[in-house]
Amino acid sequence: MDRQGGLSVAVDIGGTFTDLVAFDQTTGQVNQSKSLTTPAELSQGVWDCLDKAGIAPKDADSIVHGSTVAINIAIEEKGAETALVVTRGTRDVYKIGRQNRPEAYNFSFRRPTPLVPRSRTFEADERLSAGGEVLRPLRTEDIEEIIEAVRASGAQAVAVCFLHSYADPAHEAEVGARLRAALPDVYVTLSHEIVREYREYERTSTTVMNAYIGPRSKEYVGQIEDRLIGDGFTGRFMIMQSSGGVMSPDTAKMLPVAMMESGPVGGVIAAAEVGRRLGFNNVIAFDMGGTTAKTSLIEAGEVSIAQGYHIGGEASGHPVMFPVVDIVEVGAGGGSIAWIDEFGALKLGPQSAGSVPGPICYRRGGTEPTVTDANVVLGRIGATSFLGGEMPLDAEGATAGVAGRLGGPLAMSLPRAAHGVLEIAIAKMSLAVRGVSVERGYDPREFAMLATGGAGPVHAVAIARDLHIPTVIIPNLPAHFSALGMLMSDVRQDYVRTYYRPLLQADFAELSAIYDELAAVGEKTLDAAGVVPALRSYQVQFDLRYVGQEFALQVPVALDDVRRSSVEAVRAKFDEIHNRRFGHAAVDEPLELVNIRVIAVGERPKISFPDARATADEARVGSRPIHLDGTDTPIECAVYRRERLSAGAEVRGPCVIEEYASTTVLFEGDVMTVAATGEMIIQVGQQ
Amino acid sequence: MTPEKTPGKTIVQKVSGLDPVTLEVIRNSLPAISHEMSVDLQRTSYNMMIYEVQDYCTALLDTEGGLISQNIGGVSHFVADLGVVIKDGVRRYGVEGFFPGDVLLHNHQATAGQHLNNMVLYTPVFHREKLVAFAVVRAHWVDVGGLSTGFSAAGAYDPWSEGLQFDQVKIYEKDVPDEKMIRFVRDNIRYPDAAMGDMRSQLAACRLGERRFVELLDRYGPDVVQRAIVQLFAETEARCRAAVEKLPDGVYEASTYLDGRGGGAGYDIHAKVTVSGGDMTIDLSGCSPQREGGYNGRTYAAAYIAYKALTAPLDPLNEGAFSGLKVIIPEGNMMMARFPAMMSAWSGALPTVVDTIWRAFAEAIPDRIPAAHSGSLGATFSFSGNDPKSGRGFVAMSIESGGWGAWPDRDGQDASMSVCQGDVRNAPIETIELKTPVMVIERRLRQDSGGAGQYRGGLGVVTHARALTRGRWNANSGAGGRITCPPWGLWNGHEGKIARTLTKAAGETEFSKPASVAMVGDPGSEMIYETAGGGGWGDPLKRDPERVLRDVREGYISADAAREEYGVVLTTDGNAVDLAATRARRTQPQLQGAQ
Repeated sequence: MDRQGGLSVAVDIGGTFTDLVAFDQTTGQVNQSKSLTTPAELSQGVWDCLDKAGIAPKDADSIVHGSTVAINIAIEEKGAETALVVTRGTRDVYKIGRQNRPEAYNFSFRRPTPLVPRSRTFEADERLSAGGEVLRPLRTEDIEEIIEAVRASGAQAVAVCFLHSYADPAHEAEVGARLRAALPDVYVTLSHEIVREYREYERTSTTVMNAYIGPRSKEYVGQIEDRLIGDGFTGRFMIMQSSGGVMSPDTAKMLPVAMMESGPVGGVIAAAEVGRRLGFNNVIAFDMGGTTAKTSLIEAGEVSIAQGYHIGGEASGHPVMFPVVDIVEVGAGGGSIAWIDEFGALKLGPQSAGSVPGPICYRRGGTEPTVTDANVVLGRIGATSFLGGEMPLDAEGATAGVAGRLGGPLAMSLPRAAHGVLEIAIAKMSLAVRGVSVERGYDPREFAMLATGGAGPVHAVAIARDLHIPTVIIPNLPAHFSALGMLMSDVRQDYVRTYYRPLLQADFAELSAIYDELAAVGEKTLDAAGVVPALRSYQVQFDLRYVGQEFALQVPVALDDVRRSSVEAVRAKFDEIHNRRFGHAAVDEPLELVNIRVIAVGERPKISFPDARATADEARVGSRPIHLDGTDTPIECAVYRRERLSAGAEVRGPCVIEEYASTTVLFEGDVMTVAATGEMIIQVGQQ
Repeated sequence: MTPEKTPGKTIVQKVSGLDPVTLEVIRNSLPAISHEMSVDLQRTSYNMMIYEVQDYCTALLDTEGGLISQNIGGVSHFVADLGVVIKDGVRRYGVEGFFPGDVLLHNHQATAGQHLNNMVLYTPVFHREKLVAFAVVRAHWVDVGGLSTGFSAAGAYDPWSEGLQFDQVKIYEKDVPDEKMIRFVRDNIRYPDAAMGDMRSQLAACRLGERRFVELLDRYGPDVVQRAIVQLFAETEARCRAAVEKLPDGVYEASTYLDGRGGGAGYDIHAKVTVSGGDMTIDLSGCSPQREGGYNGRTYAAAYIAYKALTAPLDPLNEGAFSGLKVIIPEGNMMMARFPAMMSAWSGALPTVVDTIWRAFAEAIPDRIPAAHSGSLGATFSFSGNDPKSGRGFVAMSIESGGWGAWPDRDGQDASMSVCQGDVRNAPIETIELKTPVMVIERRLRQDSGGAGQYRGGLGVVTHARALTRGRWNANSGAGGRITCPPWGLWNGHEGKIARTLTKAAGETEFSKPASVAMVGDPGSEMIYETAGGGGWGDPLKRDPERVLRDVREGYISADAAREEYGVVLTTDGNAVDLAATRARRTQPQLQGAQ
């Protein structure tokens, strides 16, 4: 198990950079490093970062790892040759899908390309009813036939998904056991081992995805494990999941589909934890990088979880029915390009200059004005202090780009054009933040926004003003926040079982028994992850809806209420959530229960930042003219170094606060106070 | 055909005087409102026609019926069709006749022009005590009374036998619900719980739209928002005109037809399209006049859908999206039917009309126009009755779509919703079986249903179901009148296979053609729905034999079809192309003549 007081390390492999954050519980020392991601040999990034940070694996007590490996295999379509075994009559369910064309007027729309060809899809002559009753038993000779067909197909992986296996997985389990015994080199995924929830296409797609990415993901995790052991590492190695929890390497090898969205998720987990410690349980996590901005809502300390999403885009992607931290992403990042369309409208993105060629001011060949260039033009980002002065920015180039490409054609002054770019960026990001808050019935005024990513702190206060969010938090290490989140994540595993019945007819004794069964599986997972009993807990949720509806709400339920058959308590909770989410609740309408979910959580030791040290150096390092209000006249604003601000220090806007990889912009009326543990807490002024 | 033009750069006259930044922010905000209304409605609705089929639209309209914004996604034939309802309401009540808290219902065919299930619910939006807009949700109620449930209104003979007509009825006045009216509606429709639940969801979505629009007005001021809307309409129009300018000028025509319903004479479908600079005219005067039977409506949808797809398919919808288009449909035409005309199958002809408009363009822009798609709204697999276990009424329903036509550069999509149905989804087998006493025995792709061609038409779907209790089957094939005019091929591509249904009574062993479009089924009775495939593009003898081989190995086409339609002979083990035999076969005169 995790030792208190040890050295905890997290390494997050992202698209461009690999980040490491290490925390020594005994000394309170935080260590960070960054290296370029090495796509050809992803795991090398782990060692590059360890080397840069001067950490030997044998000294680490735990290493948490998040990686884009699984999502890359899927997006690049470089997974295993996969076979699929399904119930007779459903061979084409995976190819047919839901038949929809979300881009309604786009006649050239293309539906997702199946990862398994029809010729490698085999039918088993078995059938259950929706209630789990066996209508056609599975015969031994049929299993033999399937094994032979899979063998002959040359598949490296096989997915098995039978109709109604959520109700009774016995047939799937039997086929799975026989396949594993007969074809030990073939990677086998059974739908009920991933998700026991109805809707055969989405469940099949999830199962196929897991099988498809399985062999290579398993190999990847195994390689890192072996190399760590070879380096003398004896601590606990964990893998970050899309759901915001961590899992053991053994679980990851079986469930690689759970590790698809690790990076951004880490940031949300850290936002929840940092918010909680500062006394903010309602937090809007906001991260802005080079290409996109991402936002997610945390209410009462709980991150929002979606029970499914699409890999490769909402419209033409593969559905995956697996819990993921609910993040809304919008194409507005520091590298997003501002342009004028052929009708004279000022547009932002979705094209991004990314890191190559990057914004004009990066001097890497970029010629199109970006959000970052606009910030440089306005003086919000300091041209000489970027990355602590390591990378002087080309302010003249940025100015020429904004003036030439935007200001001239639009007949706008330079500051006005640059400010316009930011206004559009902020409006876009505000819409995304509204998407996770207002549109789901949450009032942003009751939330604090925690801003991260290189570009997050530059824009956060402006967005907060737009949405009347009263408080903005800039945490420590805002540009390493995902890795930090991985250090703060608990062990987590989600289980679901479809149980379809009117709530009033639900047999709570039966539900209690399902809970016990799922919790027992969770118990084993927590055992394997080395979580001590005192740190284990189990959450229960019911998926409920009005009779006749299709979309269900996930309603947290107290285990006591399940044990005591307390229908009223469950009902009251549903009405409350429905009312908040949709603005109305029909308290007399009967409810139906669809699924029961159990989430097993193993708490991991929490890292705690040391108190911010007072420094003798003057924090105010100078001043420069900055455009803050969209007019042509800049205001002379103070410039502060964040590293020199001690706990309790107070800074008032207008000003900018610079740190190594980011800059925070405060407007007139904003007041920033440094928390005891170093976070900057900004009281946003009234507009 | 006229020589190709160089599209001139269209500059929008800056009508609003607004700065481009404010304009861009409002441009992004307006579609977000109708989208949020849509998500809200879909998530809280009670019937699968809304949550799965997405048979609804959500929109904001100005007080003159101009479309400020509309959701995109679900059923596309609701495109920009609400203006006429709002204009009618304003004409009836006057701008002064609406009050905060009013809620109106409307489905009357004289104006709404669609089948009665499509219930429009709308609310006036007030800002600083002034009527500024309407929030509108049109959604398919499961039942509206009449002779039967569902949209084919089996057996109906006039508009009243199709269901209840609501003619601009204020069901709430100043926030006070008209309880008598609501009671009356409840008592005169089947499944009142579902309909009343949907009405609640529609109202909630309208309220949301009101709030969001008022927030926007508060923030930028009504004058700025108003000017922005006018500017956005103008820009949208300019974008569409610019796309039309890229098409060669000329007059293009195509004729197809639909079978008559109930054995009557067929319907002529004729599209005459004129392109002149940035102007397009779609003249549908050559389509049949209105008549008995349900293929009547009052709708520009077919022309609008075809135009939108050719101009700016991914852009948001507003009033400007069709300002550059002139549509000619005379009164009395099947798509401009005078009341009283039955409209139960109002949209049935639309996919064919869209396809026909497209076909008219085939010579003008051969590199952009695909062969015909299945051309109907798909097969509606439906079985309804009373569930003996729960004692409640049930409807098992799923829309099963067909294949799309092949493109000039690739095969058609298999099993994809029609041009009118966008994000409509089929119902999962497990959902059907969990909720209703029906068993789905099979859902598969229909081999050989895609028209042969250098590029092959997409495949249709076969869905086979069994009743587990007594109830009523919909036995309509969903061919939508496309029996004698199957999905056509282009440039010597072959046509796709037509749709059909087959049925088998309990205890029988053989399937046969159903005797009527609605049938009582006992437990054990079965129904098979087969949807049409898309047409092929180009000469099948030019299809790469390796692709033909792959299609055989994947089971998309049979070895017979490979030989007979594509002239491709496989080796005896079926694993390779017999090149010599294929060469010989492809030059045989009878195969050449088969086209």
